[in-house]
Amino acid sequence: MKWPGFVNLFGAWFFLALIPLIVLYFLKLKRPRLEVPSLALWQSVVNDQRVNSPFQKFRRNLLLLLQMILLCLLILALMQPFLAAGADVAEYMPLLIDCSASMSAKAESSGQTRLDVVKEQVRKQIENLTGDQRIALFSFAATGRRLTEFTNDRRVLLKALDQIQPTHLPGQLDDVLRLAAAYTRTFPIQSVTILTDGNLPDQVDFELPFSLEVNRVDAGGPNVGITEMSARRSGPQDWEVFLRVSGSGDDLRGAELQFFENGTQTSAQSVEVAKDEPERLVFPITATQQTLIEARLVPAGFDSMELDNTVWLSLPTPRPLKVWTSPKLSSWRHALRVQPNLDLEESTDAVPSGSDYDLLITDSGDTGGAIAPVQVFVGVVPSDLQDLIEVRTDVAAVVDWNRTSPFLRHVQLSEVQIGEQPYLAQGASVKELEERGYEVLIDGNTGPLLLQRREGLQVSFWFTFHTDRSTLPYRVGFPILAANAVEAALKQASLSEVSAAPTGVLPALTVLPERDYVIRSPEGSEVTVKSGPTGVLTGIAAPRVGRYDVLDGGELTTSIGTGLLNSTETSLSSTSELRFTELTVATNESETLDSDRPLWWILALLAFLVMLFEWWYFSRARGAVA
Amino acid sequence: MTTAASQFTTLFDNHTLNVIERMRLRPIRRLTNRSRGEHLSGKGGSSTDFADYRDYAAGDDLRYVDWNIFARLRRPYIKQFQHEEEMHVVVLVDASTSMLFEDKLLRARQLAAAFGIMGLLNVERVSTYASHSRQGQPWMLPPGSGRTRIRQLLGFLEQVEGGGDTPIEKAIETMLRFHRGRGVAILLSDFLTFGDLSRPMNLLFSAGLEVWGIQILAESEINPNVQGDLRFVDSESQETLDITNASELLNVYQDQRLWLQQTLDTMCRSRQGRFLSVNSASSLTSILFDQLCRQGWILR
Repeated sequence: MKWPGFVNLFGAWFFLALIPLIVLYFLKLKRPRLEVPSLALWQSVVNDQRVNSPFQKFRRNLLLLLQMILLCLLILALMQPFLAAGADVAEYMPLLIDCSASMSAKAESSGQTRLDVVKEQVRKQIENLTGDQRIALFSFAATGRRLTEFTNDRRVLLKALDQIQPTHLPGQLDDVLRLAAAYTRTFPIQSVTILTDGNLPDQVDFELPFSLEVNRVDAGGPNVGITEMSARRSGPQDWEVFLRVSGSGDDLRGAELQFFENGTQTSAQSVEVAKDEPERLVFPITATQQTLIEARLVPAGFDSMELDNTVWLSLPTPRPLKVWTSPKLSSWRHALRVQPNLDLEESTDAVPSGSDYDLLITDSGDTGGAIAPVQVFVGVVPSDLQDLIEVRTDVAAVVDWNRTSPFLRHVQLSEVQIGEQPYLAQGASVKELEERGYEVLIDGNTGPLLLQRREGLQVSFWFTFHTDRSTLPYRVGFPILAANAVEAALKQASLSEVSAAPTGVLPALTVLPERDYVIRSPEGSEVTVKSGPTGVLTGIAAPRVGRYDVLDGGELTTSIGTGLLNSTETSLSSTSELRFTELTVATNESETLDSDRPLWWILALLAFLVMLFEWWYFSRARGAVA
Repeated sequence: MTTAASQFTTLFDNHTLNVIERMRLRPIRRLTNRSRGEHLSGKGGSSTDFADYRDYAAGDDLRYVDWNIFARLRRPYIKQFQHEEEMHVVVLVDASTSMLFEDKLLRARQLAAAFGIMGLLNVERVSTYASHSRQGQPWMLPPGSGRTRIRQLLGFLEQVEGGGDTPIEKAIETMLRFHRGRGVAILLSDFLTFGDLSRPMNLLFSAGLEVWGIQILAESEINPNVQGDLRFVDSESQETLDITNASELLNVYQDQRLWLQQTLDTMCRSRQGRFLSVNSASSLTSILFDQLCRQGWILR
């Protein structure tokens, strides 16, 4: 049996008020005195009445009894009794509220979102907050956010709770758990409660320093949404746009997918999808200029979540890939000439004449100020690695290579003979190369033969040996290597494949360097961002689904759209357990957020009823009690 | 013309006195003393009232042999006559404070005087006691007989005042310390006591006294008119008793009163006695000439 606890235990001192009550009662009670010859008969009457009516003793002083009960009830109500929800009453309670996209899913019957249900539970918890309990509210989607410090101020907590809105981002637990874990150093946190719909990655890379309770709300209604959108170039000006439409229900649900190019509907197609039956659609597009494509899904019936119904995709202006190679690298030129849609600059200058290229292949460390997203240096040791790598004229052999690297995909390097051998300096190791930002793609017997370095949007490949001093150009893999370089450049220039941007952060945009740009969000808010020296705009937050306009001095430079594009969120499915590094926590749908049940209002109600009874009883039997 | 000065006593008028003088007590048993009196008490007496025969035994007075029977049966038989002996009439008046309510004491004194006069005029030895204070002796009129004693008796009873604190059971025991003789003990009280009356009743019975209990209750005791929340104060002990909603308890009160009457009646009857409960509001003549006569307590 659970005994109630008391928030205000000091209120028990008010029980001392019973003493003056009793004293005043007996002082105040003046019965009319009536002298009788003898009390013998009356005493017998009273004794007889007591025997026949066990409560007569109490009835004699019923008024006092009722007043004492009334006072006791009021004092107990003042002490704020409560029934503890758990065996241990947690003093500090961090509540992590999921506000990922799936929390905006509405129930078909009530129209209430999952987040509304969670907020209702939390509101009840806040209202039932007892004196020494503190709550800290955290919200999380892709990242965590602390909304309040540990406090028992209901006003602050309720205000913070009301401000929580569902985001357009997928849910991730790691970040918010780390945030909560940071509080364990300053507060004795025993348990952390997560309020979620369970639409989370089931694997969490986190070591729990506290016990975790996961309260899962009911699933929402049926939902359909676009989970993928990408485009692949199929011709100089032709694209194939791929779309995947998924559903959350077991039954097939219909929808119409409308296709807009620069705001004009160009086509529409009906789809029918279910939970395990997504539909993949292809729309051919001919784009002669930069085009903003919008795919809009119009569900036939009730749709639980609207924000996954719209996705944008920006197609770049079609153009050939601009490539420059050093005049001495005839083997590379030869391999590149056969590639389609390629603008190969075959000048005899040692340095490029232009400034912007998509691919630079050079045998010199000096590019003459030209930049390209993909650069291949042949027979060049990076200047910052000169102290670590020394190249000697010797025969080197390929020991191993990174077969998963896109640059070396399908390239066979075994038995390639190399006439230059790079040596790692004495005491140096690959770790030091990695510390300086280089990744070894081909390992030689004495040192790295190919290095890769990523700087922002740029990627550069460094052959520490000259390919012409090896048998590589004569191998079948060499044209493949050149094609891989072109492919990488096409990707970097978004000329072969583009994917729709998910919410979170906008993809990097290439603009004019060192210039202020205004980013206008779908809600109309504007933020000014300055481009870097390389002319790249990065790190622009895009928390909402919709179209983001990039303005340069008031003029629209480009537009880019975002979509939810998360099949997990669209499916609205719930994971039954969360697997942490060392343990697994079950998410229980039936488990609701336990909160201490206050009892003061019951006692106050009882006190009121006692008062009414007292009034009724003594009004009924007038004169019965003085 | 009847004036106070011409009245023989203040307890009742002369007419009532005249009627009383013609009345006699009628005890159930003839408990008498050995001293000669006018009460017939058993066989073997020397009165003219024949009682029985018995066989002659050696030493019997030959004057009592019935010679006619001897001549017929040739056997001697002794004739027995009723014994005439003197009977004690003890009257106990409860003069406690509780008797002060509504003429209870007056009615008790009147009845005591009536019973005393009847006893004296029947040549019985009459003694009168009035319980008063716990400490000290009771007020008492020693046993005496004869018409001349009437004035003393009335004078004694006229002077009896209430306000005592002796409960009736104590009063009886105290009285028995002074009294000697068999006869009738007439108890005039309200019998409202917390004590046990069985013991004094047994003492009376074992002392050869036939117990006549007359309970005198006031109208306010028989039909109390009380209601609400009251604090009753005992007139004798000044103890209090808080009563809530007294009107609801009246039925129980009546039950208790009747139960007390029944108990007293049983107590007296089981000891060869009598019991009667009277209302002090009833007139003396009504009690004497109606209730007591009808129930055979006295003979007219």
